[in-house]
Amino acid sequence: MLHITGNCTDMTILERQQQQQPHFNWQPLLQQQQETYFGGGGDSHFDFLSNTQQLGVGVGVGLGLGGGYLNNEAEVMVADLANRPMKYDPGFENNECWPGFVQRTVSCPPLKFEEKNFKKRKAVADKSQNSKIVGAEETREKRIRVDAKDESKHTEQKSNERETSGDTSKENSKVTEVPKTDYIHVRARRGQATDSHSLAERVRREKISERMKYLQDLVPGCNKITGKAGMLDEIINYVQALQGQVEFLSMRLATINPGLDINVDNFFAKETFPTCSSSFPAVGVSSEIANCPAPYLQFNPAQQISICSGMDMVINPTDMALRRTTSTPVNMPEVLLDTSCFTQAQSSITTWETDLQNLYNVEYLQGRSNVFPPQSFTDILESNNLKMEL
Amino acid sequence: MHSKTLFKQDFLKKWVLGLQYYGCSTKEMSISERTKAIKLSSDVAMASCRDGKTCWSRAVITDASKQGENKSLVRKILGNEYEKLTKYSIRSLVCNKRVRSKKILRKSRKSRPLVVLASTVIAKRMVNKRTRMLKDLVPGGDSIDDSFLLEETLDYILSLKAQVDVMRRFVSASESLICK
Repeated sequence: MLHITGNCTDMTILERQQQQQPHFNWQPLLQQQQETYFGGGGDSHFDFLSNTQQLGVGVGVGLGLGGGYLNNEAEVMVADLANRPMKYDPGFENNECWPGFVQRTVSCPPLKFEEKNFKKRKAVADKSQNSKIVGAEETREKRIRVDAKDESKHTEQKSNERETSGDTSKENSKVTEVPKTDYIHVRARRGQATDSHSLAERVRREKISERMKYLQDLVPGCNKITGKAGMLDEIINYVQALQGQVEFLSMRLATINPGLDINVDNFFAKETFPTCSSSFPAVGVSSEIANCPAPYLQFNPAQQISICSGMDMVINPTDMALRRTTSTPVNMPEVLLDTSCFTQAQSSITTWETDLQNLYNVEYLQGRSNVFPPQSFTDILESNNLKMEL
Repeated sequence: MHSKTLFKQDFLKKWVLGLQYYGCSTKEMSISERTKAIKLSSDVAMASCRDGKTCWSRAVITDASKQGENKSLVRKILGNEYEKLTKYSIRSLVCNKRVRSKKILRKSRKSRPLVVLASTVIAKRMVNKRTRMLKDLVPGGDSIDDSFLLEETLDYILSLKAQVDVMRRFVSASESLICK
């Protein structure tokens, strides 16, 4: 009865394994082994060994299969196994535990067996191309070992077998779950809803909470607030504030413009952008700038070069100017660095300030150099810088 | 940090392009008109910096290009990418359809008799209300999912920050020019 029940459960597992993996077959390998080492024993013996090895735990199962003269021997083996706390390493795989077993019952060189066995094992593993099953087998064996330590009687073993078979079936189901996890990265724990809808919902919620965390870092004053509603409030306020700021700044810029009307219009129109500056003689500008204001350019010789290059490349002056300043932020003269209207200490921001400042300076010079003598103009700029410093 | 400055440079470049567009037009403008123009050009420049990767930027661009007179501005700022970026409007229209059906659902749900208000229900309602508010704030927000909305909001806040930063510097720089 034991044989039947045990065999049933275990065979289903095996079948499942084999279904998953048509290449992965123990039978031929084991038969080969036995042919080489046992010199072709009885068929029943074959059956017994192959069965036991297949099942891993199926010691009791083997009993039923072992026929005729081997029956007694098999019983002894089973008793042996049951009493002895299986000593093999957890790292070793299914077959490696068997040499010891074989050594006791059948006189056979264990070392050789192990070596060959190992090689064959390897070959099989390669053939199978799926280490997951093997891994599952390993873990199953570990479990069996733990179980085997406790058990000493046949009946207990029986129950244990069932337990382990239950475990293996669980593991098998996990193995079958593996392709699923490609899509959903959440694994439901015991007692959790497992249908795809709730899983997707959980993924979504996790995503939301993660984003919330990022937002918490981003929005100032949001760290202390717990609760989604409060955080959303804070976020809304922040977004509104930023939008209002944009509005305000654009208004401010609009109000500034009339005072600077000609200047700014000039500024934007004659900025020597490729589209607008077709009438603007590029060479003339560059020469003018190159010849121009010693005092301004004396700030930094490196800058002078870059300015000239910027003007020579009339393709896109802003770009050039920006690139220039970002590439040489360390060379920035102190005076220019201090012109920042905002007291922000971050270096990048200050370089940005100077970027814009420089941009303006350059563009201003450019726009007006036709009208004003450049010398006086740079004087103004200089004084402005000094004023800003104060 | 480096990408941030690059982003700002890109934004400034595009914004100046937009401003230049207005500078080129000889039309007289009032302050409010100018304010609108500056804001619009900065918004579009900001959105075009995102290369159509986010919903909000696409929404901004499509909204801007809907109005006839702004079309040329958008075209100017976007340059070669104009065709690519305004194509997304079709998709957003599809999204709008779905939203409408959702709204109908919400209405039908409301008609059900109210159960006793548990605290969780209230909390949920508060969150829903705020989420809707946020959706109104973030451009193109009404056509996206909640989890995606937060992502968009993240991106939008970062972009707004950069925009405000650049604009402030621009204003201060031009102010310093007048001061003397």
